Amino acid sequence: MADLTVDVVVIGGGATGAGVARDVAMRGLSVALVDRADLAQGTTARYHGLLHSGGRYVVSDPESARECAEENRIVTRIHANAVEQTGGLFVVTPDDSEEYADGFLAAAASAQVPAEEITVAQALAREPRLNPGIKRAFAVLDGTVDGWAMVRGAAESARAYGAHILPYHEVTAIHRDGDRVVGVTVRDVKAGADKRITCRFVMNAAGPWAGRVAALAGCEDVDVVPGRGIMIAMNHRLVNTVINRCIKPADGDILVPVHTVAIIGTTDVKAADPDKLPIPRAEVQQMLDAGEALVPGFRRARAVHAWAGARPLVKDTRVSASDTRHMSRGMSVLDHASRDGLAGMLTITGGKLTTYRLMAERIVDIMCEQMGEDRPCRTADEPVPAAEGAPTYTVTHRLADREKDRRDDQIICECELMSKSMFLDLLEEDPSATLDDLRRRLRLGMGPCQGGFCSTRAAGLMCAAGARSSVQATDELRGFLKHRWIGLWPILAGGQLRQAALDEWIARGTLDIDHAPGQTDPIEPYPVGTEIDERDRARARAVIGGQEVPA
Amino acid sequence: MRDVIVVGGGLAGLVAALRLRRAGLHTTLVHMGRGGLQLGQGTIDVLGYRPSLVAHPLTELGEFCALEERRGGPTHPYNLLGVEPVRVGVGFLRELVGEAMAGDIETNVLLPTALGGLRPTTLYPASMAAGTVSLDPSDPGALHDGSRVVVVGIEQLKDFSCQLVAQNLATIELPGGGRLETRSASVSFPGRGTEADSNAVAIARALDRPERRRDFVAALGRLARRGETIAVPNVLGLTDETFTAIADGLGRPVFEIPLPPPGVAGMRLTDRLTDLARAYRVEMILGSRVIGAETGLGRIRSLRLGTAGHETDLEARYVLLAPGGFESGAIELDSYGRLHEPALGLPLAVPDAELLNDSWAGEQPIFRTGVATDCTMRVVEPATGEPVHENLYAAGGFLAGAQRWDEKSGEGIALASAVRAADSIIEQLKES
Repeated sequence: MADLTVDVVVIGGGATGAGVARDVAMRGLSVALVDRADLAQGTTARYHGLLHSGGRYVVSDPESARECAEENRIVTRIHANAVEQTGGLFVVTPDDSEEYADGFLAAAASAQVPAEEITVAQALAREPRLNPGIKRAFAVLDGTVDGWAMVRGAAESARAYGAHILPYHEVTAIHRDGDRVVGVTVRDVKAGADKRITCRFVMNAAGPWAGRVAALAGCEDVDVVPGRGIMIAMNHRLVNTVINRCIKPADGDILVPVHTVAIIGTTDVKAADPDKLPIPRAEVQQMLDAGEALVPGFRRARAVHAWAGARPLVKDTRVSASDTRHMSRGMSVLDHASRDGLAGMLTITGGKLTTYRLMAERIVDIMCEQMGEDRPCRTADEPVPAAEGAPTYTVTHRLADREKDRRDDQIICECELMSKSMFLDLLEEDPSATLDDLRRRLRLGMGPCQGGFCSTRAAGLMCAAGARSSVQATDELRGFLKHRWIGLWPILAGGQLRQAALDEWIARGTLDIDHAPGQTDPIEPYPVGTEIDERDRARARAVIGGQEVPA
Repeated sequence: MRDVIVVGGGLAGLVAALRLRRAGLHTTLVHMGRGGLQLGQGTIDVLGYRPSLVAHPLTELGEFCALEERRGGPTHPYNLLGVEPVRVGVGFLRELVGEAMAGDIETNVLLPTALGGLRPTTLYPASMAAGTVSLDPSDPGALHDGSRVVVVGIEQLKDFSCQLVAQNLATIELPGGGRLETRSASVSFPGRGTEADSNAVAIARALDRPERRRDFVAALGRLARRGETIAVPNVLGLTDETFTAIADGLGRPVFEIPLPPPGVAGMRLTDRLTDLARAYRVEMILGSRVIGAETGLGRIRSLRLGTAGHETDLEARYVLLAPGGFESGAIELDSYGRLHEPALGLPLAVPDAELLNDSWAGEQPIFRTGVATDCTMRVVEPATGEPVHENLYAAGGFLAGAQRWDEKSGEGIALASAVRAADSIIEQLKES
């Protein structure tokens, strides 16, 4: 007996999956979007936040550049709340040859990517911290986009069109009836229950995990190679414009101002397991050197956090969707009907966050063709609900909000200006949300203190609001600080190590967190990349150890 | 010429300066900020964990030191000092502050934390006495099995969740057996005007004013029930007198629970010691960073201070550094992973292990980094044990070897090393 019957199940709550779900829903089909973890917790969240102008690809891949330029305009319109129109610069540093730059404007023109050369003096006036030794500068229309807000926006839009949005629902089986896909079984990770969803079609948008998902349907050897890249957030907007190095795409070639930070990225190294992505010190050093080339003194600025993401690169020698006109550049579509003789399932990976909407449009076109449905795409036509009537994001929005409510509301996270009511409102909407889930939506603990002050307050609010027992709230706090530590210890130096020392003093010294009720070193409540049985056993042990049964 | 320059306005620096001054030495205290006391919990921790809970810090210090000896790496300050300086240091502080600090140096107590746990410490402000849980079977302690506690939050203060504290406290099995009976309640008490967001210092400052204090006492009095002890966050005034007035007004047991910084209890102790230092005519130079030294013939001749807008050279016979550790910027790690001591470029004792690791709950060896000293607290080369300068001493969180926050040993180390360093200097000056 099915718990839910839909036309389409989309697996993977990143940009691709959310885009597909929205597209499917807006075409009038019923859809369920499932992810084993939170929305935008994988590759989509672990990137640098660039909304491409297309400038990066004008020389290497003009078609891609043209797509980016067009999608940039659309995404800015439909996700205004998530996009900041920072503009971008391509600069030739003293270390770079001018050869690449010489062809830049002509290539931009032929790819229809707006670009103009400005003088070095103009570039420095716009970005005073920029290396004064730069030789040339080109202005483009790069922007930045909050991946969480964009995916959340797409998912909310899909929901408004009737979609079922199911984060923390891990697919454990894909059911087939002969050579057709007929449904999936998902594990509700937080409630610990299984659900059966019947469907006509499955869209596998699991990114670097797509091979594992395809294998659940008996489609073996979908070889997705995770390309690991690290990024480091510096504690200020060292620049207010996206700064690209005007060279062939390379490691550490971009500095992106997003929200209150500036992010330097990135590297590209093959990884064995997308669930285990290290942040090697050598790569950290490489990024800091790259930053130094763009902004002298970069190393003396304060690195607050680092993370690693996995690009999905499909290496498949077998049949792909034959009609490449349907494809967006950089995306790979596997048609399991022609590849494996299984109808009703497509695997989509790769692509760029900037062109997520276009990719979704193209693959949903293929899906509709296979399903015999004739339904046009409408995703470029209307903004998502959160962007309705909203201006594009600026970093001062929250400051303006706090100026308005500062007499009536408390600021729980000073670094990111998150108020008490912002936190409590979201918690009320989803009482099972973890502090980390709430962080992805509110930026709690993402500033210089990295949770040292605010996360204790937030855990207290969880208890006061009745969403957690005191012991559970204490473990939430530990779990949150433990998560922050993953991205801290590889980059700690200078002022951030000083902060970490203070945070240790507060947590271990004054609060004596190691001896407060609960587990000293709590297990991950919803670990990714762990077998479900093992995870359930571990959690059962933890519950007994913690003396309390979760609500 | 001045006899000694002491650098650092925390517990070690203030106590050392007072000790030197009381011996009649011309003493100058140079500090950058408000000192480290306000960063902590405002109690005197001697030794809380080794790593099991410590009930008798002085008796158990030997076993702790034996374990530390086996650990290797930078020598723990307690291994250099031994028990006696701890006793002398803590005794000297009591002599200075009198009844402001309560407790028994031989026996630890447990005090409730802002997470609703119980934390060991040795001496505590009088304002926390009604919250002590005894580790001594012969002493019932202020709170024990069946004690009823109402944990009172302040709506405007976000650093204290009365629900979290009350519920967590009630889950704990007390060392002497049994549990506390707790409940939570809250009062509205903005620090200024009708603001929604007040920090502990603003509320404490408001409570120093008699008319605001009366309102607060009345509100607490209304919600407390018969037989209940009142627990409040550490906001009961910047002066010790405020607590006394509130406790008298309530006529029932009340105690404070320490908060994240700025810590009001630590500020009170800083103020008290600073006032004493002024009264004793310790020369105080505020807002100044040490940026270098003139040296020669194995001695420091003068310290160079970076004060707003200019540099000053300060001559002295002896220098005692107590500027704190990483948290104070007194020890730094640069982006290339190099450790250094920015003021004088002193050699540092560094643990052999990987300095930072991926274990959040485990130890981060980097925090054991600091300067090495001999047992007189004279700064030495870690490799050779040779003095770096004949007349340079160190104390407190600047010293290598400890995990102050894990061990709950910070103030004990600060007091013992400050007194030992000061006494070493006094002795040297007597001889010369």
